[in-house]
Amino acid sequence: MKKGYIWRRLLRSLISIMIIMLIVFTMVYTLVPRENIFFEDSTYRKLGGKSDDKTEYVYSTWQKLGYLDYVRINDYCLTLYEAGSEDMIRAVEPDSKESQDFVSYYSGKGYTVEQYLQSGRYYAYKDIPVIVRMATWLGQLIAIDTPWSVQDPNNPDLQRGLSFGRTPTGGLALIGSGTTHKYLLYTDSRFPFIHQNIIHLNFGTSYPTYQGLNVMSVLFQSQGAEVKRHVTFETGYEAESGINFGTLRYKSVLDRMDKKKFVDNYATYDVDKNQPSMIGTSFTMGIFSLVLAYAIGLPAGLLMARRKDKLADKLGMVYIIFIIAVPSLAYIYLFRYIGTTVFNLPSVFTTYGPEDVRSWVLPIISLALPSIASLMLWTRRYVVDQMNSDYVKFAKAKGLNQREIFNNHILKNAIIPIAHGIPASLAGCITGAIITESIYSVGGMGKMLPNSINQYNNVMIVALAFIFSSVSVLSVLAGDIVVTKVDPRISLSEKAGRS
Amino acid sequence: MSIRNTKIQDVNLFEFADFDELQSEHIAAPRYSYWKSVWRTFFKNKFTVAVAALLLIIIIFALIQPMYSGYSPILTPNINNAEMKFLKPSAEHIFGTDHVGNEVFDAVWAGARNSIIISFVCTFINMIVGIPIGALWGFSKKMDKWMIEVYNIVSNIPFLLLAMILSYVLGAGMKSLIITMTCTEWIFVAYFIRTQVMIIRDREYNMASKCLGTRTWTMIVKNILPYLISVIMTYVSRQIPSLISYEVFLSYMGLGLGTTNASLGRTISLYTSYMNGYPHLFWIPVGVLALISISLYIVGQKLADAADPRTHI
Repeated sequence: MKKGYIWRRLLRSLISIMIIMLIVFTMVYTLVPRENIFFEDSTYRKLGGKSDDKTEYVYSTWQKLGYLDYVRINDYCLTLYEAGSEDMIRAVEPDSKESQDFVSYYSGKGYTVEQYLQSGRYYAYKDIPVIVRMATWLGQLIAIDTPWSVQDPNNPDLQRGLSFGRTPTGGLALIGSGTTHKYLLYTDSRFPFIHQNIIHLNFGTSYPTYQGLNVMSVLFQSQGAEVKRHVTFETGYEAESGINFGTLRYKSVLDRMDKKKFVDNYATYDVDKNQPSMIGTSFTMGIFSLVLAYAIGLPAGLLMARRKDKLADKLGMVYIIFIIAVPSLAYIYLFRYIGTTVFNLPSVFTTYGPEDVRSWVLPIISLALPSIASLMLWTRRYVVDQMNSDYVKFAKAKGLNQREIFNNHILKNAIIPIAHGIPASLAGCITGAIITESIYSVGGMGKMLPNSINQYNNVMIVALAFIFSSVSVLSVLAGDIVVTKVDPRISLSEKAGRS
Repeated sequence: MSIRNTKIQDVNLFEFADFDELQSEHIAAPRYSYWKSVWRTFFKNKFTVAVAALLLIIIIFALIQPMYSGYSPILTPNINNAEMKFLKPSAEHIFGTDHVGNEVFDAVWAGARNSIIISFVCTFINMIVGIPIGALWGFSKKMDKWMIEVYNIVSNIPFLLLAMILSYVLGAGMKSLIITMTCTEWIFVAYFIRTQVMIIRDREYNMASKCLGTRTWTMIVKNILPYLISVIMTYVSRQIPSLISYEVFLSYMGLGLGTTNASLGRTISLYTSYMNGYPHLFWIPVGVLALISISLYIVGQKLADAADPRTHI
């Protein structure tokens, strides 16, 4: 296989992902009414009567989320006068000369100028085009941590540089100063033992649900209750805490407790919790159901092909038709009903939580049911097709027995198209399962997208759309590469006479 | 040697017949009509005919019954009558009554009607749009390069997001649901047809046709599409149940037909909470839904089998 082909495919895939993102951006930011984002915001609801504060909150939130550019008369006057000066107090009032300048200057630049309902002061705003928003989003997507990342006016004398040292848990570490993260590279006893904080994907800050949290940490951080253990901090202070030292980040203003625990400004941290992260939950569930599906689906499909038109084949067909024809919602409920009444398994994940094996059984089986059916169907199809081919007849004529033909010849050829789907199914584990997760109340990725859409969490929608579409576009490419590895006859690059 | 001798000896036994123009045009093979053969093969199987009859009865019943019952999920005349709620199935209340005292029988058939209409209309639109585009796409190598990227893009737009946003823009209802289930779904039909067309595009008979100067479109319509009828039929028979399943899923997510229209999906997701106390509320709609989908699937598969000329011998 030519290297060039893969690069070209990769480039085309990236362009596709960008176009998908542009469509998602357009849908989310222009078609959904922007007032809706406040439905789930408790701060907004508290601002009920006070109209000026409300206007201020609404517009500054929109600005924060990138909907528009918002300028107040205060911002404008601050460029002319000092804060708190008499000129300043006079200039912000609506009848001042500066206010007139503000109005004419910003209307000239295409801004919409309006007055606060109570004070009558002026403010201006202008919508940011979707394409600009997407460009900004893309520009911030990959965040690289350097010693110049933190620019804090409260701490102008911050030292900048890198050094080697040890983490409080005893691991080796590359320690940064002036960086956002304290430990850029470090080792500890957790999988995969070496961790890095240099490159991060930055999808922005979640709003209005999971408010103030980074989207990535919402998806990747453990959930549930804090797991406390005995910890000695750098200062010698001892306490019960779930701190994960590897996640220490820069904090501008330290409080009393922070000063007790830490010697420097790196005092923001994540704590270890007792339940796996959303991605972790979905992935665990997905991997187990995938293994189950292949372990049952492949042999069952082979058996159906071998006993074509016999009882085993017909029974398998009944199962396949059942799964295809009955809506997934209905058969998941059916299997849940059987599982809870006959095998006494919990009907929702939260009954025993993720620590208990029993919680996982039903969701994993439910998730595997459709994959088993489609694997059976396609394995049978491919094997039956191979059974009628000339080389099999030839092998038979040569005197090979059924098992030899099956294991050495048919299987190898029939497995090729099945191998094509493996990367996509693996990738599918990350994105989770919407129906299964909502029926069993599993805290995974699958329910994130519908929840974010319902709660108008646009930042989250965009991030999820990016993750899902990249995973699926790239897994198609991975599938093609796997096929060429399994079967050297297949070539991906275009040849004359082929397409 | 002996044969030649016999011929010479028996030559007197034969008479010369007159040339008959009508007889010379006669074809000895039995007359073959494609569609007649399709129907004959289809009706040969008793089981298939029984399922088809059942399906026909269900569809007609689902289309007619709601006109007489006048069921609407927003009308709840028995809501204050505790005696009418959660009745078990009986002669008087065939499927029993639900949590607001409405007849489950009426709710199920009104829902089935909408589900059937939506899945049929959507399948029809998807096929009408998808098949010609797919056929052209499979035929033209130049188009393939671009269309494969279009496919990559359209198939990866999060479906749920699209459904949600369309229900904002157009409002919940039959129209927006049909648009939701067609505006990206056609590309999957087109992609499927494209692959099928590519398989038979370079067969010898098509090469010959091309050499003789047949136009692309004529080749698609006359040479290729007839070959694909059975494959398309198989696809349709899977698409209809899967669209019903989609509708159920969307209703479960609160995105389907809205609260004013009856739908099987909404009925099922609404009755789910009574599954332990009143299992009939859940199992009856699911059973009816399964009956419709499975019989549609079986009839479609059998039609596809019958549409394959190789089964006509």
